[in-house]
Amino acid sequence: MDELNIKELENIPIPEGLEERLSAKIDEWDATSRTIAIPNTPHRGGAGRGSWRALALAASFILVCGIGLYFALSPSNKGTIDTYDDPEIACMEAQKALQLLATNLNKGMAQYEAVNVKGRQAEEILNKQLTKLK
Amino acid sequence: MRKIISRILTLALIMTLTSFAANAQVKSLEKYADMKNVTYVYISKAMIGMAQKMSAPSVPGMEMKKVMPKLTGIQIISSDNKSANAKLKAEVADIIKKEKYEVLMQVDDDGEKVRIYLHEGKTQSAIIMLTEAEKEVTIIAFTGKFSLDDVKGMIDVPSDDD
Repeated sequence: MDELNIKELENIPIPEGLEERLSAKIDEWDATSRTIAIPNTPHRGGAGRGSWRALALAASFILVCGIGLYFALSPSNKGTIDTYDDPEIACMEAQKALQLLATNLNKGMAQYEAVNVKGRQAEEILNKQLTKLK
Repeated sequence: MRKIISRILTLALIMTLTSFAANAQVKSLEKYADMKNVTYVYISKAMIGMAQKMSAPSVPGMEMKKVMPKLTGIQIISSDNKSANAKLKAEVADIIKKEKYEVLMQVDDDGEKVRIYLHEGKTQSAIIMLTEAEKEVTIIAFTGKFSLDDVKGMIDVPSDDD
């Protein structure tokens, strides 16, 4: 029965270009279903994952920079390591440095005072002369 | 995931900040620790604290009890080499210009030139003293939390020699 029907069906004349039109229509439906499906399915999760990935990348970058700076600026650098292990020697050196600073600051202040005294003396002489002239 | 990322960010921030905090000295002078013909001495805050506890240093004309706790580091760089001397002088000139130091004092005495510069920062201040003798150049940098008034206070006390 089925074989007969198929044979009969095969004998029915097919309109020209029907096959092409049908396959074109199927392609069109497929394309529209895809464009609708893409935003609906993993959109929310995908975008969220993307932003978290970017944040994680930024965090790792900052971490690497932080570690780099930590090692570049602090203990590995020779200039930041204490020269003396003995606090007594360090104390003597600190004392010497501060002594130099104090001496020079006092020297400068002494020179400033000397200039001030001379200025005051000159002012007094000038005032005396002015009163004499009056 | 959020917790991990926020932890990573916090850790990175802490590490970055501590790396800056650890830098309690004039950064530009650190490179002289490795330079030929240059003597570099660094005394950290911890060492200053230990030294103060062990044997309180005394400097005539300076109130050490006030000065010492304010210091966070001392760098002493000296050289008697001609080219190194020129580099050291140029370095100080560069630091003064870039980091906006002000001239505190200039003393010319017996062929020795002394320049004292001060930089007052919000978190850290510094005093740089440049001494130019006939053959030797010495830079002493004091870093710490002090103001111009503190520096004035250093010289308010009359010298023991007086």
